[in-house]
Amino acid sequence: MNVKNKHTRILIFLVCIILGFMITMQLKSHNQHQTIAAQRAEELTVRLKEVQADRDKLAKELDEYRAGRISGAAQKEMDELKARAGETELEGKGIIFTLDDSKQAAKAGENKNLYIIHDEDLLRVVNELRSAGAEAISLNGQRLIGSSEIRCVGPTVLVNERRLAAPFVISAIGNPQTLESSLKLRGGVIENFKFWGIKADVVQSDKVRVPAYKGNRTFEFAKMVSEEEKKKTEEKSAENKKETAGNTKPSDNKAVADAGKEQPAGKQKNAGGVTK
Amino acid sequence: MIYAIIGLIFGVVGGILTPGFVPKIYAPYFSVALMAGLDTAFGGLRAAMEGDYDNVVFLSGFFVNIALSVFFCYAGIMMDIDFYLIVILVLGMRIFNNIALIRRLYLKK
Repeated sequence: MNVKNKHTRILIFLVCIILGFMITMQLKSHNQHQTIAAQRAEELTVRLKEVQADRDKLAKELDEYRAGRISGAAQKEMDELKARAGETELEGKGIIFTLDDSKQAAKAGENKNLYIIHDEDLLRVVNELRSAGAEAISLNGQRLIGSSEIRCVGPTVLVNERRLAAPFVISAIGNPQTLESSLKLRGGVIENFKFWGIKADVVQSDKVRVPAYKGNRTFEFAKMVSEEEKKKTEEKSAENKKETAGNTKPSDNKAVADAGKEQPAGKQKNAGGVTK
Repeated sequence: MIYAIIGLIFGVVGGILTPGFVPKIYAPYFSVALMAGLDTAFGGLRAAMEGDYDNVVFLSGFFVNIALSVFFCYAGIMMDIDFYLIVILVLGMRIFNNIALIRRLYLKK
């Protein structure tokens, strides 16, 4: 191929420059994209390793604290507090109470909702059991603790932020006799359920298991008051008392009047002090 | 021919020396443009071997093809159709055709 024209040569030269430039740019960009992806993966791997190491370290620390620092009486107290707070699975004598929605057809013109178990029914049962001295209660495997809610959400009931549906099985640890009779009181819970055809079954058992609370509990707003702060506030209030007491002693009528306004109950006492 | 090779070397060196790279969103446009450029270059080579090479046709083909392929690619992305695949397919077929013709012309010589 022989090119005679000078213009043609320059043209081919220019076009080839552009082509070469584009090819290199394309290759370079391709490599760059790949390296960016690889860099990101590498970065994430490093971070993952760091976090894992951190986690292992903290887990070890936690084990140490659990094993070494707490001992004897403190451990015992902690275990008891944990059991009280619902952190441990409990077992003992008690009852198992089963509730299921009514199979009766609603009479014409009657509200169907009356034949279904509601949060209020469950709350009544739980309340009854608690008043009968139940030590631990669970509802469909959800341990009921101080902050547990029982609330209707659509067709289900929300307990410990988990949705539960009928049939409901309430396990309670306590004196089986007392618990059962508390439910079977005349005009009590079971009688009320029977009226609407809701199935209610009480079974006494020697081995009732109540699982531990599985949700998490963190304080978002509440802050613990440390022992030091407690002492400080106590001292302050004590000082205030002293001051008011000190003010009332000298025969200053105004102070007496003030003190009298603040503590009507102590008025006579103070007045007596003034006359002295 | 020597001019073409020197030009390519110049272009490659220029590309290596240029800092930065094509962002990922423009990668399809750029690859399509590259295919169009290659297609035109091979077309020009074939025309030169067949003896009906023309400056204006070659130059206009080079830029118009690049512009058109980039436009197709853009339109495809706008319409959510993978037009750029079609463009690459067509251009690739043309490149193969051109190279086949070049080979035959070369062998005939």
